[in-house]
Amino acid sequence: MAEVAYVNASRVFPGNPPVRAVDNLELAVADGEFLVLVGPSGSGKSTALRMLAGLEDVDEGTISIGGRDVTNVPPKGRDIAMVFQSYALYPHMTVAENMGFALKLRGVPRTRIKEKVGEAARMLDLEKFLDRKPKALSGGQRQRVAMGRAIVREPSVFLMDEPLSNLDAKLRVETRANIAALQQRLGTTTIYVTHDQVEAMTMGHRVAVLKDGVLQQCASPRELYERPANAFVAGFIGSPAMNLKTVPLTGEGAQLDGVVVPLPREVLDAVAAERLTEITFGVRPESLRLVGADEGDAVGRAFELTVELVEELGADAYVYGSARVGDRPERFIVRVDGRTPPAFGQRVRVAVRDLDEVHVFHPETGERLSG
Amino acid sequence: MRAFLVRHWYAYAMVLPVVIVVGVLVLFPLAQGIYFTLTNINEANIANPVLDRPASYEFVGLQNYLHVLSGSESYGAFWSTLVRTLIWTFGCVFFHYVVGLGLALLINRPVRMRGLYRVLLILPWAVPPFISVFAWRYLFNSQYGILNQGLATLGLPTPVWLGQSDLALFSVMVINIWLGVPFMMVTLLGGLQSIPHELYEAAEMDGASPWQRFRNVTLPGLRSVSSTVILLGVIWTFNLFHVIYLTAGQNPHTRILVTYAFERFFSGATRDYAVASTYGVLILSLLLVFVMFYRRAMRRQGEVW
Ligand SMILES: Nc1ncnc2c1ncn2[C@@H]1O[C@H](COP(=O)(O)OP(=O)(O)OP(=O)(O)O)[C@@H](O)[C@H]1O
Ligand SMILES: [Mg+2]
Repeated sequence: MAEVAYVNASRVFPGNPPVRAVDNLELAVADGEFLVLVGPSGSGKSTALRMLAGLEDVDEGTISIGGRDVTNVPPKGRDIAMVFQSYALYPHMTVAENMGFALKLRGVPRTRIKEKVGEAARMLDLEKFLDRKPKALSGGQRQRVAMGRAIVREPSVFLMDEPLSNLDAKLRVETRANIAALQQRLGTTTIYVTHDQVEAMTMGHRVAVLKDGVLQQCASPRELYERPANAFVAGFIGSPAMNLKTVPLTGEGAQLDGVVVPLPREVLDAVAAERLTEITFGVRPESLRLVGADEGDAVGRAFELTVELVEELGADAYVYGSARVGDRPERFIVRVDGRTPPAFGQRVRVAVRDLDEVHVFHPETGERLSG
Repeated sequence: MRAFLVRHWYAYAMVLPVVIVVGVLVLFPLAQGIYFTLTNINEANIANPVLDRPASYEFVGLQNYLHVLSGSESYGAFWSTLVRTLIWTFGCVFFHYVVGLGLALLINRPVRMRGLYRVLLILPWAVPPFISVFAWRYLFNSQYGILNQGLATLGLPTPVWLGQSDLALFSVMVINIWLGVPFMMVTLLGGLQSIPHELYEAAEMDGASPWQRFRNVTLPGLRSVSSTVILLGVIWTFNLFHVIYLTAGQNPHTRILVTYAFERFFSGATRDYAVASTYGVLILSLLLVFVMFYRRAMRRQGEVW
């Protein structure tokens, strides 16, 4: 059990130009925390994890585990266990041997190894398979063996690099819950890499979003969803993605197809201070609603959308439609009740549910302007 | 049955040419060879169309086998030749494997000019064997060879490498090891590259030292490749004729089973085809027995092929 800290850590791959795969990463993970690293492909998640594991050099800055600087310590000395995306099980060893290998190398007596492996196998429901080779296991069983191999060692930190990406959708949901529960039970600091934002939101105590090797925001899932620090995080977290549009400003708010969405005073002040004439306006599909014909008083606050596509998911439906912003058409997504979706080609009126759910970002830097 | 033939005659017709070729090229000579071992056929009593002489050899039962297996010097001292053959075979294959693996490991690491090393190390294999053999003979020459000249300048004894002593066996083995290493190296390099990189990383995380990683990841990962190349190596080396013959000629100190069969067949007072065939059949039987045991041992380790 230990806390982990990246202090200005960078990994620069040589090349022309050099690739800053992880760039000045500043991140502290508390003891017992479940931290999820998420980001698009190539954002440096795996590299950040491998730096912590000692499989990748730290070119700048330092990394510490449990208060000890491990920047130049080989993987062996870091007391870390890692679950690989491909599981990396030793093909010629049985499940039990795979799980006990690290202990065997450490010279733990055989009876003790057997005990520990048995214990982990019980926890992961692997007892039936202890004498099999990995080749004779299903993908989900292999995944559990890989988890078991990590658990048996009782390391101070678990690292997992997309451990669920080889599983089918249903099994993934199930295993997701199991891993979260297991981590809760063991209380071991865990760093988990994924590109699946649902995994990130459901599993992590905190989620760190990376883009091009740079940390964008590290916060609780709720906070990430409600107050994304910049336009990238806003667009990355949430499904379907937030509607992010560059819209012209008027005195009181954002100008959308004939309506002005009022913005809070402090946003307008911030905008005025920067002398901006446009802002990046963000509103999640679930923060929009259809306005009924009977809601006469909503005129002036609702804007018009021509329906181009309706995706029905059962409980909900996603309506894709275009509206005029400034002088060009922009596509918006609205989440509506699945029982009464509008039809293709229909013109509907849409309003923002709650003005607190409007996000405003700087049109160039993408920084959050709203409070 | 009729219906079966009518329906499938086409398939049989397609297979027929292969059956005929295999029969003519393999089965017939094999059967004939086995038959010769039961006769006293030699140069003097074989049918000779040029002299218009009919065959006059006779069936002698197992006499050839009894002569050969008695180990008599006049029948090639079978048992001591067998021992020499085994030393030759396993000595060569052992060093082929160990040196080949060592080089493959070195060359598999990211070193500068790796491509150049790879080409250079494959070179011995690309040179026609008889050219390399003659080059080696020159190196081993007791008077003019570089080896002995080097030893002489160091003030060390300068033995006759390819003379009438067991040193000749050692010398031909050195030559053959040099010739055979590239093949092992290339094959094992392919095997090494097929081992997933994450296994090494996982082992490293598990706290394995480089040696333990070699023992627990590299060697098991190479097992199927190794078992195949070792089997092939043993069969090839057991039957490898040209290196010994071109280097040492008919030296009894380098005699192995195949070279003796060749001697009996092509030289000597009378070319004794019966004894040569007997050697051939014995070699084939020994290899079959070896392959059988080898396969069983491999299967026990969970290898299937
Ligand atoms: N050995 C290397 N040499 C050069 N560049 C590398 C190397 N390894 C990774 N990179 C680069 O570093 C960046 C980050 O790679 P990384 O594997 O960490 O991405 P990732 O976030 O894990 O992506 P994914 O979700 O696809 O696994 C990428 O742009 C990649 O091309
Ligand atoms: Mg990755």
